[in-house]
Amino acid sequence: MPHSVDPLRSAFADELQRVSSERELRALRDRYLGRKGGVVATLMKQIAAAPSGDRRLLGQLANEFKTDVERALAERQQALQDRLEPVEAVDITLPGRPIAQGRRHPLVILRDRLEDIFAELGYAVVEGPEIEDEYHNFEALNIAPDHPARDMQDTLYLNAPIDSRRGTAPPSERTRPQVDRAATLLRTHTSGMQIRYMEAHEPPIRIIAPGRVYRRDNLDLTHTPMFHQVEGLVVDESITMADLKGTLTHLLRELFGPDARALFRPTFFPYTEPSADVFVSCHACHGSGCPVCKRTGWLEILGCGMVHPAVFEAVGYDPERFGGFAFGIGIERLAMLKYGVDDIRMFYENDLRFLEQFPH
Amino acid sequence: MSWLRDFVDVREPAAELAQLLSMRGFEPGAIEGAPPGPLAPEGRHGARPRHDTAASDPSDDGVIDFEITANRPDCMNVLGIAREVSTAYGRPLAHPPAAARQTESSTAAPLAVTIEDPDLCPRYAAAVAEVTVGQSPAWLANRLLAAGVRPINTIVDVTNYVMIELGQPMHAFDLDKLEGRELRIRRARGGERLRTLDGEDRALTADMLVIADATRPQAIGGVMGGRESEVGHATRRIAFESAYFTPSSVRRTSKRLGLKTEASARFERGADIGAPVWALERACALMEAIGAGRVVGEVIDRYPAPRPPTRVRFRERVIERHLGQRVDRTEAARILRQLGFTLEDAADGWEVVVPSFRVDVTREIDLVEEVARHAGYDRLPATFPVLRAVPRPSDPRIDADRLVRRILTGAGFAEAVTFAFIESQAASAFAPAGEIVAIAHPLSEKFAVLRPSLLPGLIESVGYNRRREQRTVRLFEIGRRFRASAGETRTVGLAWSGAGSAEHWSAKPRDVDFFDLKGVVDRLCGSFRLKPSFVRFPQDAEGARYLVAGRSARIEAPDGVVLGVVGQLAPPVAETRDLPRGDDVFVAELDLDALAAATPRADVRVEPLPRFPSIARDISVLVDERLPAGRVRATILAVAPATLERVQEFDRYRGRGIPDDKTSLSLRLTFRATDRTLTDAEIEQAMAVIVFALEREHRAVRR
Repeated sequence: MPHSVDPLRSAFADELQRVSSERELRALRDRYLGRKGGVVATLMKQIAAAPSGDRRLLGQLANEFKTDVERALAERQQALQDRLEPVEAVDITLPGRPIAQGRRHPLVILRDRLEDIFAELGYAVVEGPEIEDEYHNFEALNIAPDHPARDMQDTLYLNAPIDSRRGTAPPSERTRPQVDRAATLLRTHTSGMQIRYMEAHEPPIRIIAPGRVYRRDNLDLTHTPMFHQVEGLVVDESITMADLKGTLTHLLRELFGPDARALFRPTFFPYTEPSADVFVSCHACHGSGCPVCKRTGWLEILGCGMVHPAVFEAVGYDPERFGGFAFGIGIERLAMLKYGVDDIRMFYENDLRFLEQFPH
Repeated sequence: MSWLRDFVDVREPAAELAQLLSMRGFEPGAIEGAPPGPLAPEGRHGARPRHDTAASDPSDDGVIDFEITANRPDCMNVLGIAREVSTAYGRPLAHPPAAARQTESSTAAPLAVTIEDPDLCPRYAAAVAEVTVGQSPAWLANRLLAAGVRPINTIVDVTNYVMIELGQPMHAFDLDKLEGRELRIRRARGGERLRTLDGEDRALTADMLVIADATRPQAIGGVMGGRESEVGHATRRIAFESAYFTPSSVRRTSKRLGLKTEASARFERGADIGAPVWALERACALMEAIGAGRVVGEVIDRYPAPRPPTRVRFRERVIERHLGQRVDRTEAARILRQLGFTLEDAADGWEVVVPSFRVDVTREIDLVEEVARHAGYDRLPATFPVLRAVPRPSDPRIDADRLVRRILTGAGFAEAVTFAFIESQAASAFAPAGEIVAIAHPLSEKFAVLRPSLLPGLIESVGYNRRREQRTVRLFEIGRRFRASAGETRTVGLAWSGAGSAEHWSAKPRDVDFFDLKGVVDRLCGSFRLKPSFVRFPQDAEGARYLVAGRSARIEAPDGVVLGVVGQLAPPVAETRDLPRGDDVFVAELDLDALAAATPRADVRVEPLPRFPSIARDISVLVDERLPAGRVRATILAVAPATLERVQEFDRYRGRGIPDDKTSLSLRLTFRATDRTLTDAEIEQAMAVIVFALEREHRAVRR
């Protein structure tokens, strides 16, 4: 009965020394570690038969031996692999085969982001028609036929009215008859969706309505005849301007980071009152003033206000019972600020060298 | 700012004042320390419009320009701004300058004034003066310059001064040029013309209001005066006009004539119907103060139907209801009183009398806004609206669009956004002329019609990239197309030009072909759980005019509904869109709503996984070269046993060893039974049936 595994150790060392291929290494492993008839297995069996007094020490020695063999075999295996024949190697510095990956348009990336922010707050995302009638684009929004506000947004009218509205109106929950007229113009804002949605639904309402809008503006660095807006509308009993402030402050922090500050400045829109222009503290200088914010520390982001009672009256809501707020965000402007784009036309040239700079 | 100081005590620097008013809704523009650059070409009714108010004097401390929103014509003048400043600082507002004149007269003025159309001109005041026309004193000229108005002569300057100070546009006629020494405020008669102060000879129409003498128009009411009765250095007697014209009428006339003036800008937004007389008295006093003339006779005031002031009930509780924060009752009342409102206490608030200059205030919410503006938006807390009901679902089209985007960006397409209007010539290939929707007054020929398809815009973007060293261009757009009969339709357009395979050192890239884009369409439809059919067009079908006839197809849903088109863009169309010659472009357009409508509604039901092995057999047949592979496949499927699981074309060969009019088609047929392992005998029998059918139906020869 052996009292030492030293002879086994030296025999193993000799044999390992002579191994020169992976095949020989596998054979050596089988010989020592094979479950049936392997050197280690045999050793274990002998220990089991040994007098109980020796068993503990022997077991310990045998286990150490086994661990050492395993480690030595693994090291040798690695060594053999390291000097693989060069014919099997590839030049790993050559480029990989490219997987084509397209991009969302940057305006869509932002639109999606806005949708996600508001979806989390329980807003439904809805779409409406781009060719619109004057009732939904102007009249119902308290913009009278002769009102100077129609001057503010020079409208693109169609040559001839279009009756068909296939699939562009939201499904209705209301039995009130809805105003249905032929489209005569390209919508100048997404605000018409306020009317369309309220005509079809009872309060409470929380929606955002993203989409393209059109104005009679010539192309220049900051204007295009078509651009994108996201309209928001919340209607319920006891909606206040403080709610509007809270909601939009949250939006700006989501977009510009937790340190962003919001500034609400009075302004005029026919369909909201009181109305506000909303500014965010400049993300480039944190409000201290720089060329991005024209040294004001603030960037104008969106327009908003409390829904004008005349708008509620147009859709048959009782303005004494319901209150609401609405807001409209121009996506292009937001994208220009966020991504440092100084020419709005780049969004419409679809230059791949531009588009591919945005994340997937 | 010295002009402003005539009305309210302001010692704060201009920048602070600008900030103060900014937070009350008056957006400051430039703050200048010297006279502003741009000068108006003409005085009075001829001045170029600046929809802002300069509140200062270059002689001391600067000028602030404010943009005045359309609802606040009462602030298009120094006094209006001063009223806001006095309210903001809680300082008293000086009474508008005294009307006290050096001369008083109780005789009638030598001028007859008749309002013939009180709808368009509800009020007209006038005064006559003997004048010595000369240069205005420097202080007056400088204030006009600061406001961007060029000094002309004493009388014209006085009218402009009063307009800028009080907001009341005025005019002065050379009285001796007025036939019959009378003014008739009437509509123009057919064929009447007037040479206006700017020298233009203008044709007038019956809906335009004119100020006429006994025989002919001498001014266009509220817009611009006439050349003939213009006040010049030779003028000895004048008639001042100070009137209120109906906003919609002035607006219409100004628009029709393409003539915007300082006066029309004020009248069309709504002047103060209470102002004509005291503004006129202010003008007279100023004229006399600078020694430019003496009033003769009494002031004439024609105001046939005086308007009662607007009264609005204002309940205190609605302030908190709208703002979410209480405003102290005395503070709210102070704000309104300083802004010029008269308040009578009522049980739940006030009975408010609206001053005539506040044309924007007609209902309770307007007063809430006034309180909010001056109490300060920044004082409102930020809260969240309570969610009281389960949110409604979003428009399912939003999610469908997102799915399309995921699939197409994953397939290597970059998303484009193109304009919805295009040149009419570019549209013509994509829809019949009667379907194209034109813009009534397009910005330019480039934006003349609404796109009948997303493809023209996409193709142009492909060309844009190709001309900028991009060899391979894959673009898609999700948007609306417009047709006269169908209105707007939501579609997705795709365009692919250049390489069809990845550009890599390991292989030569292959040019894009029909099957590349067909594969994308298959994948897109697959994401809507549809297996589309590709059908050759009839000659007159949608797409036939802009796609290559032999390399295009209509995409149909299983139920036959047309989903869209796919194919190679016809080279003549490509050329008109500025694509490099010789570029093959493959395009597709699918109706997104049709795609969504064709999507199965039921949930996916999982099929059990196969428990028995499949057996594959390859078969190669010689068939007529014009025989579509789809027919071969259909024949096989018609006769094969139910155990035929899959038919896959794996080679199509023409060339050596194949007769000219034939093609060799190789297919792999995979068989599997759900309940057993198929035997060779079963497969051989199935293959025999299939081969026999191919021979019989297509005269196919097995190779």
